[in-house]
Amino acid sequence: MEQSSTSALLQGTVLDLASDVVSALRSGDHVRAGSTLTGGGAGEGVARAAVRVLGADTLLPSVLLGVPPGPGQLAVFKDAVAAHPPRDDAAPAVVWSHWAMTRALRRTGPSPDGPPSDGTGAEPDARWLDGAGWQFLTHQLAVLAPLALPGEECAVTRVARGRPVDVARGFVRAVRRRDWQQAAGAGRWLTLLDGVPDTLGLEAGLDFVRLMGGSDPRVALQLEAARLMPAAVLL
Amino acid sequence: MPSKDKVLEEVTRTENIDIDAALDPAEPDGVFRDSRECAALALQSGGTNLLLSPPTPRPKKG
Repeated sequence: MEQSSTSALLQGTVLDLASDVVSALRSGDHVRAGSTLTGGGAGEGVARAAVRVLGADTLLPSVLLGVPPGPGQLAVFKDAVAAHPPRDDAAPAVVWSHWAMTRALRRTGPSPDGPPSDGTGAEPDARWLDGAGWQFLTHQLAVLAPLALPGEECAVTRVARGRPVDVARGFVRAVRRRDWQQAAGAGRWLTLLDGVPDTLGLEAGLDFVRLMGGSDPRVALQLEAARLMPAAVLL
Repeated sequence: MPSKDKVLEEVTRTENIDIDAALDPAEPDGVFRDSRECAALALQSGGTNLLLSPPTPRPKKG
């Protein structure tokens, strides 16, 4: 009972946080991006966990639009990175999502007169994607959609670059399965990849995902990222 | 200043959160689109062939 109520609270906070990010991406207002974190609606532990779940995308407005994160938002983000490191036996997606957060911190939150806020930065390996079927590949890429950023390199990005047709197939499969979150995440990756078949009709496909699943803020977040990324230049 | 009970409640909640399950969720079961949505997509895509093929045939039971 406790577990389910906590999960529901966490899910609700993740959705609120994603809504904030979507608003910020649409308006360019970083204050909105952190309003759930600084508004006191969720307890600190739940807010930290929600930031860990939403991952590096919590700072996406700062990364894509160049607006600095609010101090309170940045503090919670740092706390989330520190409080929820991956366990030794964590799944690769968990390890990579944490790495993505540390990368986002390095990009947006270096101390003004010191080294980057995180001294590590060693990249995990992407061997678990070697020879992965296109369905599994697309699922994992969608889970790791925060890694899909223009001008950013990592092992997962290199795997995705090598398999644009497989990601396109995965996108179509996700749409046909009504898995809007996976479709939106895969679509975000596809906006970054060369060699995506024109016959996919990515733009119309993303419009369709928005029409069908855009009421979920996590889906809307990926769609906003996909919309902004082609024009975005990272700082 | 939060009360002791509040702090305890918060700690309990945080410890019960299964972060890993949320970070690496299993793929949900698929629900295939019906033909009305295919038609809506056909109109929206402006004549391209996007996603218009019928669902993959599935083995019949029995």
